Amino acid sequence: MSSFSKSPWLIHYDASSCNGCDIETLACLTPGFDVERLGVINTGNPKHADIFLVTGAVNEQSKDVIRNIYHQLAEPKVVVAVGACALSGGIFSECYNISGGVDSVIPVDVYVPGCAARPEAIIDGVVQALGVLEKKQKEMTSLANSLDQALYLRAEKSDAPEILALQKTAYQSEAEIYGDDSLPALQQTLEELQKDFERPEQVFIKTVVNGKIIGSVRGHTMDDTACISRVIVHPYFRGRGIGRRLVEEIEKTFPNAKRFEVKTGHKSERNLFQFRHHGYQEFKTEPFTPAITWVYLQKERK
Amino acid sequence: MNPWIRLIIYLVAAPVVGGLLAGWDRRISARMQSRQGPPIFQPFYDVLKLLQKENVVVRRSQNYYIFFFLLLAIFTGGLFFGGADLLLVIFALTLAAIFFVLGAYKASSPYSFIGAERELIQMMAYEPMILLTAIGMYMVTKSFAVNEIASHPTLLVLMLPGIFLGFLYTLEIKFRKSPFDLSCSHHAHQELVRGITTEFSGRTLAMIEIAHWYESVFLLGWVYLFFGSLPVLGVAMSLLVFGFIILVDNVFARLKWQTALKSAWLVAAVLGFGNILVLSLLSSKPADLPGSGGAKPVATTEMSAPGGTAPAPGNAMETARRN
Repeated sequence: MSSFSKSPWLIHYDASSCNGCDIETLACLTPGFDVERLGVINTGNPKHADIFLVTGAVNEQSKDVIRNIYHQLAEPKVVVAVGACALSGGIFSECYNISGGVDSVIPVDVYVPGCAARPEAIIDGVVQALGVLEKKQKEMTSLANSLDQALYLRAEKSDAPEILALQKTAYQSEAEIYGDDSLPALQQTLEELQKDFERPEQVFIKTVVNGKIIGSVRGHTMDDTACISRVIVHPYFRGRGIGRRLVEEIEKTFPNAKRFEVKTGHKSERNLFQFRHHGYQEFKTEPFTPAITWVYLQKERK
Repeated sequence: MNPWIRLIIYLVAAPVVGGLLAGWDRRISARMQSRQGPPIFQPFYDVLKLLQKENVVVRRSQNYYIFFFLLLAIFTGGLFFGGADLLLVIFALTLAAIFFVLGAYKASSPYSFIGAERELIQMMAYEPMILLTAIGMYMVTKSFAVNEIASHPTLLVLMLPGIFLGFLYTLEIKFRKSPFDLSCSHHAHQELVRGITTEFSGRTLAMIEIAHWYESVFLLGWVYLFFGSLPVLGVAMSLLVFGFIILVDNVFARLKWQTALKSAWLVAAVLGFGNILVLSLLSSKPADLPGSGGAKPVATTEMSAPGGTAPAPGNAMETARRN
């Protein structure tokens, strides 16, 4: 066992639980179960936590909070959904304000069933989460160590599920900026993405390290213009030049394009900065939702 | 022992000892709450894990402050175990704490602000007593140098019982333990999140932990000074004091910062200042007895032999005023 699985610090969030699962979760800390013997600390601070433990179904109010907390957890992180409501919405799943289980907002790694989930089951869930945590950590390290061997390849239709999963992870930070998950990138379904792959003018590029996709970009041509979209990089590998390289690669795949076009949200400072760095300039804005205004940037081929 | 050798032993052994003390703390605390508790090496597992975690920052510069906090925490203990001036040690300690506070301010989150402000208040609370401790030790041993204090033949605690108790009070604050866990409590999720350490994660949080280990060893080293003439008793008492701090941590609830500040100054005034007052009266008394005259210096040297080697400064002033 690595030190990772010996020191799991967790943060517990009650999405809209009836408090049944919360009481059982806190019971794990009491002398009867004492999860601290496994090194568990209930931190209350997402930046210190490794495991995000959520109880209750997700409603309109807790949606943003869950996303916010998930985003603040340092990588590698694991999400454990505890109780029937957190799994699927439980008896509340048909309610007008319930969007479903925790996995309707963030990716969940371990599901602990029960109503309420018993402390033994919760401890078992945490121990399983440790396995996932360790696996993620190993993947992260081996990926980070071989970033210099990253390959930039054309993506195939068979890559669609992996790219979509990466897209959902990568766009969490954008959803957090706007407090809105109506971003098309987050709404896209697998069928839509697979259809995109079938369009002849659409090109997908992926960054592959150790056989795993950690970044992707897509683009299509319209007359002389190449539209670039969805520059996605896994949050853990940002700031290492992968995004920049992806943009360069996709520009190379359109040798006949006279002009490149890209759009991003008005509050995405980082994206705007990156594209300006590439030589793109803003030329128009367009309101999309009350929260989001698209900013269009363009660059002429020199 | 050569101070350089002592210094090197400190640099290598302090994190190990400090980590084990922290592990022991968690285990004893658990036992006091009738739980089994984590393994004794738990703090090392925690730090090893933190070193592998992603380092999330608000501003990158906040981490440099914490680096200097760690450096100065090591430096403080280094000065102490190297046998340097006790006053210098105190100010190095303050400087380390200030860097910690600056780091928290730099992170600009309301929770780390509260933590930083409370940390400053705590520093205000313990600083007078720490200075009085150094002065008390000087009055008995006539030296601020740590190695001379440590090798002094008197059992300091006998001359400085009030200061020793006051120093214990200070230690409670310095270890950030209940009832003085105001600035970064483990248990105040709702109002503090994690206070001063809220915005630090990954490697930086590991640095803070390691700095705390160095600090614990340094503070317990200072407890040892009170028993410097009997080394075995000194080590035993240091550990006992640490056990006492754990007990107090588990027995008491958190105090308000006002109470912490007032009580700490009250302790400094009554126990610390009172002890120093008694000490100066004791050492000037034999000088006054013969009335005026030239026999005084000899008498002083003889009478204060168990306590010191030279006349106290209060004594000289007393004479000056009379003449």
